[in-house]
Amino acid sequence: MRNYENLVIVKPTLTAEEIQASVKAIEEVITSNGGEILATNPMGMRKLAYPIEKNERGFYHVIYSTIAPSAITEIERRFRINEELLRFVTIKYDTNREIAAFNGMVTKAKKAAEAPAKVETPVVETPAVEEAPTEAPVVEAEAVKAPEAAAE
Amino acid sequence: MAEKRKYKKRYCKYCEAKVDFMDYKDAGALRFSLSERYKIMPRRLTGNCKRHQDMISIVIKRARAAALVPYTVTRKQVVVAPFENLK
Repeated sequence: MRNYENLVIVKPTLTAEEIQASVKAIEEVITSNGGEILATNPMGMRKLAYPIEKNERGFYHVIYSTIAPSAITEIERRFRINEELLRFVTIKYDTNREIAAFNGMVTKAKKAAEAPAKVETPVVETPAVEEAPTEAPVVEAEAVKAPEAAAE
Repeated sequence: MAEKRKYKKRYCKYCEAKVDFMDYKDAGALRFSLSERYKIMPRRLTGNCKRHQDMISIVIKRARAAALVPYTVTRKQVVVAPFENLK
């Protein structure tokens, strides 16, 4: 078993649920071929550096896993058949230095996967707090302007 | 009568930072070794050592395959967006 990283770009024309479904299907391809997924890192919708199949954007998803080297050809064959994929990049982490970096990235991805639940809630709350004060002055300003207009 | 050096002494920035591994997904970090037109900068201009130049060239090529860094840039794109997508 060797450490591999699969970067997958899913078509942007699909809806959010369809993207999640296709990502799950991709992960299943790896697990069904004897691979073990260590961590995943959804990088989200990004602008592509160049258009692929006339798409300007794509949904990036990175999968860190240990797979038997012989299974890679089969997995890549399945990826090629999948029409929802724009591009995939498979990278092998073989030397000691690369494996150390790989483990570092896996722990980082795991932490990022756990963190969002904690991080997202304040992010959602803060705009709501900011919006309340901004709305009030706008209403006041309009109220001030209205009498002026009436006076004129 | 030692001749004065005409240019500043070149050194490898990656050696100085003790970079052991480069990640192709971090496209912003590749910017140092890319030209305005996203060509890989030669060693004689950046001062990279052989080891790190080999690493960065592999990493840039991976990033190109993953559509994080463009292969080529046309004249229009050069004017509109130099390094806009990678910060």
